Amino acid sequence: MIALFITFFAAVVILFLGLNKKESSFSNLAVVALLASSICSFCNAKGLCNFAILESWVPANMMLFGYSEHMFASLLAFISAAIVFAFRKNDNLGTDQLGLIMFSLCGAFMMISYQHIVMLFLGIEVLSIPLYVLAGSKKESLASNEASLKYFLMGAFSTGIFLLGTAFIYGGTGSLELEMMGIKPSFMHAMEGMPIPTLINAGLILMSVGLLFKVAAAPFHFWAPDVYEGSPNRTTVFMATIVKITAFVAFNKLLSTFGGIHNTWSGWLCVLGMITIVWGNLAGLVQNGVKRTLAFSSIAHAGYLVMFLWYYGFAYAMASVLVFLISHQSATDKNPVGFDMFNGLSKRSPWVAFALVVGVLSMAGIPISAGFDAKFYLFSFAWQSSPWLVGVGLLGSAISIGYYFKFIKHAFLVKVEGDERAVEYNDKGLMILIAALLLLAGAMPWVLLKWVF
Amino acid sequence: MEIILIPIIAALVTAGLGKRSNVWISTLLSLIPLAVLYTYFTRFGVDTGWKTIFDLPWISENIRFTLGFDGLTGMLLLLTNLMVPVIVMAGIRDDENRVKLTALTLFMQGALNGVFMAQDGLMFYIFWELALIPIYFITLTMSGENAFKITLRFFLYTFIGSLAMLASLLYLFLHTADYSFSFEALRAVELSRIESIWVGAGILLAFAVKIPLLPFHSWQADTYTHSPAAGSMLLSGIMLKMGLYGLLRWYLPLAPESIEFFQPWIIGLSVAGVLYGALIAIRQKDMKRLIAFSSLSHVALIAAGIFTLTAEGLEGGVLQMFVHGVNVIGLFLVVELIEKSTGTRLLCELGGLAKSNRSFMIFFMLLALGTVAVPFTNGFPGEFMLLKAVYMYNPNMALLAGLTIIFCAVYIFRMVQFSMFGEGKHEVSSLKWNEYVAFGILSVAVLLIGFVPQLFVDVVHSSILQIVTWISEAKGVLS
Repeated sequence: MIALFITFFAAVVILFLGLNKKESSFSNLAVVALLASSICSFCNAKGLCNFAILESWVPANMMLFGYSEHMFASLLAFISAAIVFAFRKNDNLGTDQLGLIMFSLCGAFMMISYQHIVMLFLGIEVLSIPLYVLAGSKKESLASNEASLKYFLMGAFSTGIFLLGTAFIYGGTGSLELEMMGIKPSFMHAMEGMPIPTLINAGLILMSVGLLFKVAAAPFHFWAPDVYEGSPNRTTVFMATIVKITAFVAFNKLLSTFGGIHNTWSGWLCVLGMITIVWGNLAGLVQNGVKRTLAFSSIAHAGYLVMFLWYYGFAYAMASVLVFLISHQSATDKNPVGFDMFNGLSKRSPWVAFALVVGVLSMAGIPISAGFDAKFYLFSFAWQSSPWLVGVGLLGSAISIGYYFKFIKHAFLVKVEGDERAVEYNDKGLMILIAALLLLAGAMPWVLLKWVF
Repeated sequence: MEIILIPIIAALVTAGLGKRSNVWISTLLSLIPLAVLYTYFTRFGVDTGWKTIFDLPWISENIRFTLGFDGLTGMLLLLTNLMVPVIVMAGIRDDENRVKLTALTLFMQGALNGVFMAQDGLMFYIFWELALIPIYFITLTMSGENAFKITLRFFLYTFIGSLAMLASLLYLFLHTADYSFSFEALRAVELSRIESIWVGAGILLAFAVKIPLLPFHSWQADTYTHSPAAGSMLLSGIMLKMGLYGLLRWYLPLAPESIEFFQPWIIGLSVAGVLYGALIAIRQKDMKRLIAFSSLSHVALIAAGIFTLTAEGLEGGVLQMFVHGVNVIGLFLVVELIEKSTGTRLLCELGGLAKSNRSFMIFFMLLALGTVAVPFTNGFPGEFMLLKAVYMYNPNMALLAGLTIIFCAVYIFRMVQFSMFGEGKHEVSSLKWNEYVAFGILSVAVLLIGFVPQLFVDVVHSSILQIVTWISEAKGVLS
């Protein structure tokens, strides 16, 4: 709850104080506020401090922050802080965009802590509407406008489908509160032979479609590459990390509510996860644009996230921020999208090249980066539910090497003549820091895990 | 632990010094682990099984950072830490890439030491992969248009193999009583025959790619040929031994129920590989490519020997692993020096090099004789033991594999003849101190093993007996 409050008020303050001002002067404030949210949630989860007054303002049957909710809120706020800080030098953007990002994050907090489907719905909307605007915030760019419109239309439809599902669920269970909703189907499942009402199954399918759309899991991923490519870099990272992790937490919560029939569903989810991994990786293999490749890579990662884990979210998000940041700063007018932007990076700037390698290897899941440990945890859990999932996951990792190594090829192998492509990297320190974090989290995962669990 | 950390720190120091470091400094840095290894031998000995010498909880209480030491490990560590200084000393050219290659080679030394010492399945996998990263970047410095294609193929082959191994290890891990990755716990898992075959197939795939066995070898020749010398040496001399070591240390004890299923296949493929590599080597023009195929042939014989499952085959295999490392690194060094002073390594363009540099010719000849396995050189005892073991398994197989002795003499002496003797317009420049020292180390190894092989076999004897006992116990349970 505390994270929601801090983020919301900081967003309001930034929005009003920063009216008509350049963004860069306020991004520090935003970073501080987001870090504060992250730390407060963390302390709250660990019982180091307590904000009971805030909790009492919202009825517990609407929103509830328990241990895991606090932990996820902390993670999301931390990733957002990293994103805002990494892309803070967007001088030509207005302050309103910062505010929108933080409002969107508020929606994410609602989605992870809902106890009532109405809260979930509100959360989805609060998360999405600022993103529709952000996706189109490069006003002169045709691609950005296209991204915004596509995202908005598809998002509106998926929300409609989600709402229809909610109506069915209400019809089938007689309640929209998570606690009450689960009782009837669990009971029926316990009494063997009693069929689950069709209404509940149909409702669950429709709600899943709505959420899987947000995650961009196959076969609901068609909007993703265009939207990711057209949006400004910062918005793309935000969508690829925060939105995905949030939607999965919400999804997980929804499914686990339905106790017994959860198992049937997780089988189907596994299948979707496998399709997503294979499709995302295969399509990523044939892309030429950096952002498009990363878009497909993030679709594939959504498949891995289906076998959901906190650590995986962390490792994936950090590596994404890193690679997006480097490609953001590498882009030149002459070469805005292609892999050629990395040409000769190892000669021009060895440290940035090093950070890029760490980020890419972590995404590919190679030791000793955080990505490997994440995949390791993931596979050892996934094996119990389905060995096939592990098989497909491993296959996906192998395929993904094909496009992840394109980054390395261009950074290390392609020679450039002269220094016409010299690009200034502003945030070398930050890049190295994130890379070091990925390596440390990979070499000593227990440090992170001890904190979390 | 020191023996892993010191090279990694040395790599960082080298990278930090940049252009200020020179061959002296790198050589000294790469020699420190050898001293550490000496203390390991004196402190822990080689007669008392696989001792844990370092142990810390890593991911959880049961997934630990565990390092062990015994004769088998000691032998491989000796190979690594004796050969890396040779590579650092003489195998890296003094050009713009020197610092990078030296740092990566030193890093590689640390990772390889980790592979050979890991006593925990996950640790083994992590070091296994970690060794892949520096060698990938070393091979990436190759010149030519196909560099990316060749290195990517090499990486993908090994990575897919590794992933299969990871899946197998995970399967074993999930069936341990207390979710542990320790060698003992993984070994204690009881598998049915079918399970064991699947687990074994996963582990074998990783090793078969690395060794490489016949159908998985197509990454090898191109990678060896086009890599910078240091890359070819590391790959063929040391890294390939990871696969053979893995067979002995991890595959045989962990999935003994599947051995009977795979044994005829592996021995058949190996013997086929022995002949295939040798026949192709005879027709090569490029010296590096010739050595690559000769290496394919030699290593396949080691794999065949190991899969006879006799103490003799296993011991011969370990000895031959060491010997092959010395010989192949020596031959690659010879080619590197020839290429450095003449600018070519095609046999048709070379000739008469012996006139310009006598001492170089003597070293080359010694290494060539070792590779051909002439008695009293290092190749002889190991190859003899291996062929004998294969003969005990199946005389016909041994007959086929034995042809390699003839073929090997053909292609090695053909290489010596066309490059060293006859008429030619090229010359080899005289050797520098570092090249003398490197050849000195290699020559001593060639002669020492040739005259007193027992010295080396004794080191691994008790480890091998232990493995053989495990296999026969598993057989007893099955029958």
